[in-house]
Amino acid sequence: MIKFLNRSQIGLHIPMLILALLFLAPLLWMVSTSLKTSEDIVNSLGALRWLPHPLTYANFHEVLTNVEEFPVWRWTGNSLFISLAVTFLVLTVDSLAAFAYSRLKWKGRDRIFSILVATMLVPGQVLLIPTYLLIRNLHWFDTYQALIIPAGAGAFGVFLLRQFFMTIPAELEEAARLDGCGPLGVFRHVILPLSKPALATLGIFTFMGTWNAFEGPLIFTSSMDMRTLPIGITIFQGHYGAEYGQMMAAAVIAALPVLISFLIFQKHIIKGISLTGLAGR
Amino acid sequence: MSIAIEKTQAPARAVARKLLRRDDGWAGLLFALPHLILFIVFLLGPTLYGFFISLHQWHVLAKEHPFVGLSNYKAALGDDIFWLALRNTAYFVILVVPLGNLVSLLLALGVAGVKRFGTFYKVAFYVPVVISIAVVSVLWQWLYNTEIGLLNLYLKTAINGLRHMGMALPPFQPLPWLSDPHWAMPSIALMSIWWGAGGNMILYLAGINNIAPDYYEAATIDGANTWQRFWAITWPLLKPTTLFCLVFSVLGAFQIFGQSYVLYGGGSGPGRAGLTLVLYMYQQGFSQYEIGYGAAIAYLLFAIVLIFTGIQFKLMQGREEK
Repeated sequence: MIKFLNRSQIGLHIPMLILALLFLAPLLWMVSTSLKTSEDIVNSLGALRWLPHPLTYANFHEVLTNVEEFPVWRWTGNSLFISLAVTFLVLTVDSLAAFAYSRLKWKGRDRIFSILVATMLVPGQVLLIPTYLLIRNLHWFDTYQALIIPAGAGAFGVFLLRQFFMTIPAELEEAARLDGCGPLGVFRHVILPLSKPALATLGIFTFMGTWNAFEGPLIFTSSMDMRTLPIGITIFQGHYGAEYGQMMAAAVIAALPVLISFLIFQKHIIKGISLTGLAGR
Repeated sequence: MSIAIEKTQAPARAVARKLLRRDDGWAGLLFALPHLILFIVFLLGPTLYGFFISLHQWHVLAKEHPFVGLSNYKAALGDDIFWLALRNTAYFVILVVPLGNLVSLLLALGVAGVKRFGTFYKVAFYVPVVISIAVVSVLWQWLYNTEIGLLNLYLKTAINGLRHMGMALPPFQPLPWLSDPHWAMPSIALMSIWWGAGGNMILYLAGINNIAPDYYEAATIDGANTWQRFWAITWPLLKPTTLFCLVFSVLGAFQIFGQSYVLYGGGSGPGRAGLTLVLYMYQQGFSQYEIGYGAAIAYLLFAIVLIFTGIQFKLMQGREEK
């Protein structure tokens, strides 16, 4: 262990604990508010109470059952379907491409790869207007494919997997080649099985990134039935405005799936960031 | 390709060498192709197409899009609201990048220093990162509420308590977190630092953990204190991580959009204090349908980001050579 701070560990734990509580407080307050009655929220004495009393599920009931105005289940389904589809697409095309750029030799390979890397500095927001026009010309506006297919174009996943594939010893590939494997065989039987950690990392980040995506669903869809949860949140906001109990219940519903998956996979996710330099956005 | 290797050793080796010193020809391009098609159609294409759009007077509903050269760019540079959006965005970058990275670095140093409960701290600091900006913004809108928001309630309690104890403080005035033009950007920055600090923390932590413990042991033997060890060992060896984090923080901060959009319900905030470049691009492109002008704003943003990234690389390289 690195001994950064020679002071006693307790002296370090006290500020760290305070900081940790400060970071967690907004989220705890979100959950707390979502379980309060509106009187309890407005009354400032009650408002400083962290444990709701009386405890009520009315806000969740209101948010989840008003499906005519707020198709929450549909939004959840959309978010889930789109996130899974994008993750599948990205893992498939990126791993194939990363294999081509790392383990195969072909004309133009390095030149094309350097173009890929250069485009990683293009801010995503710059692409919104041209992609919007492209989607309209393809008649994809307000469809699932508008939110799925363009998401497979990014270069980051290819770059990340390529870095990982290059660390796999050449001997393993050579052995497979001598056993009569073609490129597809090497890819399936050597590279993919050895790259599970990298694939899992890319998969988790792609899933979370898509689940939380905001600009794309905002601009490329328009009907109530095609929205995703983050956009649904802004629709709630337009309706409930200052009714914070309902707002926070909606926020909890939108955040819960990623929060739970993060807590389950936290070890993997945190390791993944340090391995890949992905800060999770 | 699939030649079975048998017979004697020597020819086998020759065949093997031939097999291994190969050119995969079309196979390589074939593997790259699915991604390459998507990349060309939905990334490289739109990057160039966006510039093309910015050279036209392009209304979404109009049939014709006359070529106007650099008029949209000239219009933007003569547009007071564009400059306001640029100032607001720059202000956000200046607030969020140094402060956010400082917070991330301090958190990482703390996590690296503790011997127990490191995972708990990591999870606590990282957990906001996994939440959508839409959720983060409605949550903070609630925390920032002037009358009954958590922040003002606690400030009120604290100030009243101190006054009660006899400190000469003015009576508590609720802070106008989101409703005052001067507070808008600092409030958005505070929220954004809370949201994002955990991501860079993990990167700094990885950088710190990569430093060999020997350096610290040697420095300790030489009598260096914590402060000296940080400046002599951690800081210089962390430079690549710092550069990486800074470049991507600047890149991300210039693209701020969701915060303002959600906090101000699609508007620009009090006195347009929440208006950022991307929000202005969005308003021009998708509310006014002037996507030619919106694209020009996006390209000006692109240019600014490229210049900043270039400067950062130069600065960091220059320092390393000294």
